Amino acid sequence: MAWRRADQIDSATAPPARTGGASLSPADATYLASLAPPAPTTYHRLNPLTKAAAATVATLAAFILGGYIGPLTILVVGVLPAAFAAGILLKLGRFALLISLPVAVSVALVSVFTRAGETVLFVIGPFDATLEGVDFAGQIMVRLIVVAMALGLFGLTTDPRALVVDLEHRGMPPRVAFAAAATLETIPAMIDRATTIQAAQRARGLDTEGSLRARLRGVMPLIGPVILSSLTEVEERSLALEVRAFGRPGRRDLLWSLPDSSRQRFVRWLLLVVLVAVIAARVTGSMPAFL
Amino acid sequence: MLELRGVAYRYPGYARSVLQDLDIAIDRHEIVGLVGPNEAGKSTLCLVAAGLAPASIGGTLTGSVLMDGKPIAGLPVHELAAWVGLVFQDPNTQRSGVTGTVFEEVALGSVNLGRPVAETVARTRSSLATLRIEHLADRDPMRLSGGQAQLVAIASILAMEPRLFILDEPTAQLDPEGTRLVGQALRRLAATGTALLIAEHKTDLLDGLCTRIIALDGGRVVLDGPADTALESDGLTGIGIQPPARVRLARAIKASGLRVPDELEQVAAGDRSA
Amino acid sequence: MSGRWVRILAGVVATLVAIIIGLSASGTLDATPDPETGLPAGAHRIDSIASQFTTRTIVLIPIAIAINIVLGQTVGTALKIPLYLDSIGTILVGVLAGPIAGAVTGLLANLIWTFVLAGTPFGSPFAWPYAIVAAEIGLLAGIFGYYGFFRNRPNTPTPQLVVGTVISVVVLGALALWGILPAYTEGVTFFGDLASVDPIFQLVAIAIAIVLVLALVALVVQLLVRRNLGVAYVVVGGAICGVISALISAPITEIFFGGVTGSGSDLLVAAFQQAGSTLSNAVLQQGLIQDPIDKTLTYIVVFALLHTLSRRFTARFPQGERAVGVEEG
Repeated sequence: MAWRRADQIDSATAPPARTGGASLSPADATYLASLAPPAPTTYHRLNPLTKAAAATVATLAAFILGGYIGPLTILVVGVLPAAFAAGILLKLGRFALLISLPVAVSVALVSVFTRAGETVLFVIGPFDATLEGVDFAGQIMVRLIVVAMALGLFGLTTDPRALVVDLEHRGMPPRVAFAAAATLETIPAMIDRATTIQAAQRARGLDTEGSLRARLRGVMPLIGPVILSSLTEVEERSLALEVRAFGRPGRRDLLWSLPDSSRQRFVRWLLLVVLVAVIAARVTGSMPAFL
Repeated sequence: MLELRGVAYRYPGYARSVLQDLDIAIDRHEIVGLVGPNEAGKSTLCLVAAGLAPASIGGTLTGSVLMDGKPIAGLPVHELAAWVGLVFQDPNTQRSGVTGTVFEEVALGSVNLGRPVAETVARTRSSLATLRIEHLADRDPMRLSGGQAQLVAIASILAMEPRLFILDEPTAQLDPEGTRLVGQALRRLAATGTALLIAEHKTDLLDGLCTRIIALDGGRVVLDGPADTALESDGLTGIGIQPPARVRLARAIKASGLRVPDELEQVAAGDRSA
Repeated sequence: MSGRWVRILAGVVATLVAIIIGLSASGTLDATPDPETGLPAGAHRIDSIASQFTTRTIVLIPIAIAINIVLGQTVGTALKIPLYLDSIGTILVGVLAGPIAGAVTGLLANLIWTFVLAGTPFGSPFAWPYAIVAAEIGLLAGIFGYYGFFRNRPNTPTPQLVVGTVISVVVLGALALWGILPAYTEGVTFFGDLASVDPIFQLVAIAIAIVLVLALVALVVQLLVRRNLGVAYVVVGGAICGVISALISAPITEIFFGGVTGSGSDLLVAAFQQAGSTLSNAVLQQGLIQDPIDKTLTYIVVFALLHTLSRRFTARFPQGERAVGVEEG
């Protein structure tokens, strides 16, 4: 389960633990470190903030640059090599395709066939595909695929709990950390509950397949019970949390942390500078001609 | 250590007081069983003793609740959490949902209290050891049986090392195996010397464990005495509480007029060495 | 200024007004000096923002976000109904806990949807730009909740019922006339020179007008039959929220995603473009049909939910009693 060996824990990078009177035995320190999610490659081991910064800058830059060359450069120079280093190139490709396919249909409809343009390429019934439309659609698709891949790279290499823990180490209030982390658990639980309730309703003869009307009839009586049963738990859950000292203001000493390094800090600042430069170039119109 | 003086409590929006003029004192190392029919006010008493009523759920409290002589009124619940622990019936809603391992779940209370990591780890380990659930430490808290989850809930409160440990019908939603596990856990808890207040319907769990029994009916104390006599008293049956099996056995023996071997009589008398 | 920027400006101004109302509702803008200390009363009530975030609220937020995401993905994506229904949770938190809590829930919901759920099957890389819209929805819901828009008003006496009905019809009519219809008639008012507008849009505008009138009639009938004025408040609130949300989200969809969202609404956008609208107009036209309907339906669902939940439950939230009303008898 744990990828880290005791000799890999670098005391220079792990934040010092406030130990008060007692101090942490090496065995305990190893155990706590093993609680952190496993990370098979170097890219995985990067601090969540670094990976998030990379994803955010890539996404924003793709939007700001527009066109083809900008986003594609980001893809080829940034996202793909990182994905290769993380060993998830194929997985990422599949993920991005899955996300982009439904959107691609819409893009085709909105941007190719119905958009006003001059140079008509071909006509299907009342719809004409124009060169301008295809160009616009192309730019949108490139942008969306780059965004999907950049965020997918982040998502596939970062454990959500690790992200929340790291943010709390950096000052996020514990209550916000709770809300973010709890959402992870709540969604699958709610879907399980919905499936159970739907099965029970179907057993009572409710027809949920087929026509729009049937589908609608299948969903509406589901919304009420699923939501209500989730909400009635709020009271007990909040009392249980309160007796575990949940509402206490102030910082907490968390059990484990994600390593960071000065090199990564430098890279994050660099990414920020690049983003600002891109924004400035776009705003002042001094973008190089090829972008 | 914990004192309720003339305590009456009314839930918000209700006219009737659920608790009426209670005078109860619990000392350190006492193990108190709380029995009573449904709607007698057992759960309400647990909430009041833990300080959640009225601080967290509103309502009106008259009288005073004192911890080591100091009134707890007005104290924020997270401060009280270090002194009084409370375990509820439903193992599902006590799971925080934010931890990946049982170890972190048990450590949660201590971490929330802002304790240093080393102290948290020590307390967590000791709590897991006391309840003999170290083997669950690496498990996913969402994938435990009801009984195991309830043990984790108990451990997570124990790791905060409260002076008074309250349990509100901890076995109500468990199957017989889970009930057995919790029963064992209660004995181990008792052995630590923490004061316990256990609200339960299953008097068999309280038999041999508690030093004292308080019976509640209609929000008032109708019985308060040493456990062995209290559990055998007719007052208990009078308010609808089923006494422990051995008591029922003893009464059945007496009623039948049969002569039974001495060992059986000893068992019925509560002698566990027979 | 081009039409598009006017609309963006309108949306931004509406949001700012909402924020100001929200802050004053939570007491933080109160500058009247406290008689005892001489400090502005609002200074003490900065904590009224914090007071919206009790443990109960914090526990509700992930559940609300989960409701958003689960419903949004099943209804919108799987069923392909041109409705989102992905704001039920945000609005619920806003109504029960307050405007700031609602706004934070909306913000967090979209950011978590993209960043924390990235890589899981529930993640969406395209949700984050709409965080500001979600925040506005939560904020508005909190304000409406504060002013009692979600209260049940059964057996309203007839005079009040009539006045309330008339007022809601007038408000909805004004909203339609000046908020919705201009998008289809390009600034030409309903009674102006319709002949200069493209015939397809004349038809669309007339169709919309008919639908609106029918909806108003249905609302009035509901009110007269059920005698529950609360319905009127909820419908008006939902319509207002829908219009403002459409105004703010149209430029976002246009600028970030070229007008597509991957849901059934793209068909509408395509249709409007085919009829001759520019992209930005088409997105707005689609939004002004879909969002008011979606938000009004959502408000009705939340209204039904609030009154199905026990009073014990709702009253324990920071704004619960204000929003749902006090027990009658």
